[in-house]
Amino acid sequence: MARQPSLLIVDDENNVALTLKMVFEREGYDVLTANSCAGALKILADGHVFDAVITDLNMEKENIGLEVARAALRLHPKPAVVVCTGYASIDNSSAALQMKVDYMATKPVDLDELKRAVSRLMAFRNEKQ
Amino acid sequence: MSDTLKTTKTALIVHADMSVLSAFQSSFVSKGYVAILARDLPTALLAITQHFFDVAVISSRLAEGGDGWPLAGVVHLVFPKAFVGVLTPETNVLTLQAAINNGVTQIFDVSSNPDQVVTTLLGSQQTGPTTPPVEPGASIQ
Repeated sequence: MARQPSLLIVDDENNVALTLKMVFEREGYDVLTANSCAGALKILADGHVFDAVITDLNMEKENIGLEVARAALRLHPKPAVVVCTGYASIDNSSAALQMKVDYMATKPVDLDELKRAVSRLMAFRNEKQ
Repeated sequence: MSDTLKTTKTALIVHADMSVLSAFQSSFVSKGYVAILARDLPTALLAITQHFFDVAVISSRLAEGGDGWPLAGVVHLVFPKAFVGVLTPETNVLTLQAAINNGVTQIFDVSSNPDQVVTTLLGSQQTGPTTPPVEPGASIQ
């Protein structure tokens, strides 16, 4: 039987994290959530294998979500990495581009767009690996 | 397969302006690349079906503003290892977001010197990914 695709959702607003968790669980994903960069880094370091990571940008500190993205992008196999933010700037967007973040969504997030993006990125990732 | 076939790298250049195409072509050829030029979307798509590209330089504006972005996305999907540069009239949050979401490697100002763009693109191609892969469970700083 095929393994459920796994997803890590990182957002300091618990309501956002739980809503996204519910949405993606309905789509058949196995979802873990973290409410801080530190929590996310711990989960990533624990050896969980994720197909995709969705992270907010501003949590404990401004743009700290980029640390989550950076850590996720260093994993092997590399998950698809999506950054969601309501505070996109030239600086954080440039950093995300340079790090090769796979997708950047602006809040308020269009859930259909986000679901499509994650599904497409995972298909692309599986094809490459 | 001959050595020539294995080692020759190919660049796709897509821009509506012939003089810009010509400048990029000269630059790529001087660095040992085969350059395939397209002035519009249909020609670019045809080229994608006929060649294997290692690098692409695409104008964000072909027939109308922004139509170069999805073409860059297609190049990224078809040639995931290719380095894709997009020439944009300005750098703002929207262009950066379009670049990320279409798998673009780097954006350049339309007024950038073609030689500089090519040197930068080929430089980043040789450098490769900046972050080495880490096995699950390994410590992450």
